[in-house]
Amino acid sequence: MTSKQKTPRVVFQPSAYQGLQRGINQMVEAVRPTLGPLPRIVAIERMTRSRTPELLDNGGVIARRIIQLPDRDEDVGAMFVRHMLWRLHDKVGDGTATAAVLFQSVYNQGLRYIVAGGNAMQLRCYLETSLQVILDELTHMAIHLEGKESLAQIAETISHDPPLAKMLGEIFDIIGEYGQLEVRSGRSRELEREYVEGMYWKGGVHSRQMISDHTNLRTEMENVAVLISDIEIEDPRRLIPIVDMAVQAEIRSLLIIASKLSESATSLLLRASQDPTKFKAIAVKAPWMTISDRATALEDLAILTGGRAFAKIAGYTLGGVKLQDLGRARRAWADRSHFGIIGGKGDPRLLRQHITDLRSAFRQSEDPDMRKKLRERIGKLMGGSATLWVGGVAEREIDARKELAQRTSDALRGAIVEGVLPGGGVSLLACRPALQRMLEQSTDPDERAAYRMLIRALEEPVRTILTNAGYDASEVMAEIKQAGPGFGFDVRSGQVADVAQAGIFDVSSVQKAAVHSAVASAALALTIDVLVHPKKPQESVDTA
Amino acid sequence: MVDDTSEEPRIQDLVLSLAASPNFAHDGICFAARTSGLYRSDDGGITWRSTYDSLALEAPLATTAVVVSPNFGSDRSVFAGVHGGVLRSVDGGENWNGAILPSPPPLVSVLATSPNFAHDGTLFAGTVEDGVFHSADRGSHWSGWNFGLLDLNVLCMATSPNFANDETLLVGTESGIFRSTNGGRAWRDVNFPTDFAPVLSLVLSPGYADDGVLFAGTESCGLFYSEDRGHTWERLGQDVFTEAVNGIVLSPEFPAQPDILAMLSTALLVSRDGGQSWSDWKAGLPLEQGLASVAAPQGLDPGSPLLVGLVEGGVLRA
Repeated sequence: MTSKQKTPRVVFQPSAYQGLQRGINQMVEAVRPTLGPLPRIVAIERMTRSRTPELLDNGGVIARRIIQLPDRDEDVGAMFVRHMLWRLHDKVGDGTATAAVLFQSVYNQGLRYIVAGGNAMQLRCYLETSLQVILDELTHMAIHLEGKESLAQIAETISHDPPLAKMLGEIFDIIGEYGQLEVRSGRSRELEREYVEGMYWKGGVHSRQMISDHTNLRTEMENVAVLISDIEIEDPRRLIPIVDMAVQAEIRSLLIIASKLSESATSLLLRASQDPTKFKAIAVKAPWMTISDRATALEDLAILTGGRAFAKIAGYTLGGVKLQDLGRARRAWADRSHFGIIGGKGDPRLLRQHITDLRSAFRQSEDPDMRKKLRERIGKLMGGSATLWVGGVAEREIDARKELAQRTSDALRGAIVEGVLPGGGVSLLACRPALQRMLEQSTDPDERAAYRMLIRALEEPVRTILTNAGYDASEVMAEIKQAGPGFGFDVRSGQVADVAQAGIFDVSSVQKAAVHSAVASAALALTIDVLVHPKKPQESVDTA
Repeated sequence: MVDDTSEEPRIQDLVLSLAASPNFAHDGICFAARTSGLYRSDDGGITWRSTYDSLALEAPLATTAVVVSPNFGSDRSVFAGVHGGVLRSVDGGENWNGAILPSPPPLVSVLATSPNFAHDGTLFAGTVEDGVFHSADRGSHWSGWNFGLLDLNVLCMATSPNFANDETLLVGTESGIFRSTNGGRAWRDVNFPTDFAPVLSLVLSPGYADDGVLFAGTESCGLFYSEDRGHTWERLGQDVFTEAVNGIVLSPEFPAQPDILAMLSTALLVSRDGGQSWSDWKAGLPLEQGLASVAAPQGLDPGSPLLVGLVEGGVLRA
């Protein structure tokens, strides 16, 4: 590469603002049609043009599909919005279209104010301060949900799929906000669900000969002792003292969790289990791929069963295993790919404290991967899980419905924790009086500008919902204003209605996350003054 | 004052549970679950006879819990918890059918019926190591329902009087209290400090749907009261409750008539003012041998009969 090629191109005002704004507007206008219960579809051309276009009504996915704009100034603005929307989608599963239109309104109003001589940094500061006022108002408005009917109702407002909503309402009423739900492709045309009692992990038996029920390809044990480890067992002589110890303690069922079991060690366990009515031992694979996942899973198993984790990384060997190191459970099962424990006999106080700690870590974590792992751990420890089988005629239909089920599930988890808000954008309209009061008390021009922008921006989601549904937004907004607080427009019935009574809700956590992302990001974007482009841009890659 | 102590049969075994007919004032029928079996009295607890004669058992069948149908007058249904199963009778205990609980055999610690049993046929069995089992067909079939029940050592259970609508029931365990608001399908922990557990007794106000009042008796920390469905708790009679609170009974007219009975290990205390002050139920009762169970089939008015199961055997009619 020559030195000339390394020279960046620097873009100053007013070109920087103009380019950014065009890019932001293009991205937002691509997402805008998807807002509301009567959304319009966005068609995305496939990379191989012979295939039919991808039809989407999910703002997050649409934003992710737009990976580059031809104009590089515009591209910076578009990618700024794209990143915000995908992060939001990843975190709460919904709310991207609301965030997009809010962002655009704040940004465009803010830009006009700055171009007219306003102070960008002061404006950012006041926008961020005002954001907290909106979030507090939304928190006060939240209604907490209980019961499968309420959950199904909110699921329907998210998914617009009544049968799916009813099924998810029942599932989440049972498994709760942290419960483990697997969404899988079904074999029939219908939706089906299955509940699994106890906890299970990936990691089947080390040998098929350990499976006793050859019809169901599964083995079950009662009143079982559990050796919790990720040790590789090569030498069968290491197992002999443990088996002897178990037999002497009149333990009839022994479950050994180990990373590896040699053939000779397998033979030893099979020989020891020749009369399963007297003693039975099986070994299952320690399933975890990474060191940290393995350590946390061993810790969970130890607390659940009251045993001790023998982690290879900590230098443990099987030589030091004592009777009290073995965990205990009422039942355990294993098949060729999984093993499970039901009724772990660990100290329930320790288990409850452990779950409380994990919940606290979940709430504090911002990292989506970490949150997912923590939620899975909590779900496992809560003692059950559910599987939703999504059926359909065509594979594409099933995939789309599975994605919808997953997205609705994410939002439902938030709804259980933080409750719901009057829907259809009404909760955002209800935040305006608080901002109006602050506007009336303020004398600082930048602060007053921030309040005015937000008061206007909070109308934008309602206006967009109305426009997308084919109504005259200005006309209906006047009707809503006349009807009073709590009233909005039910676009399905075409009536102004008390939205809470009409069962129209938004998930509080989603709405708050959307407002937070939109306002904080727009405030930051308004402070961008200069764009710098590398001479030769790197190939665009999907980093979302 | 002791009116009578059962003399026949005089069995020195623990009376783990007592249940009375809803029409006790007229029919005088009550049941006592004992280590030696299940006994029935037709005269208000004065005389007792075994109800397991039809089973022709070779050895005593330890019975750990008993409950009668809320519609006992018409359906004559009685349920008895034994090791590994639940027995049911539809003729007031003359004949029995058994339902086996899923293996390994659980030990039933408590049985409860839905107040809407006539219509929903719902029963719950709390167990010592296996959580809660549920039957929706009048005790014929049972399945474990333990989603979110982090402590499977169930010691006591209470169903909401408004169960038909709110589907609420609570269990007390070794480590605290859990609540289900969907008929036992899933459980969430109640904000009851684990330091105060085990919870040995639970009772909900007859007006729980409106007042959200419940009481919890603990092994070593006394009696607790909540008026917000268990979100916050207040300790009652801190100086009075120095023993395990094994049982709590509320007046059927609570809170209009704020009578509360607390059964301790060797005392029966009553409060007539919602738990502010406490006194002995009756002076001079021979309670020193230890109390294991209590039932107040006609409420807590002075003079109403109280059935008290004793640790050493026998039922005291106080």
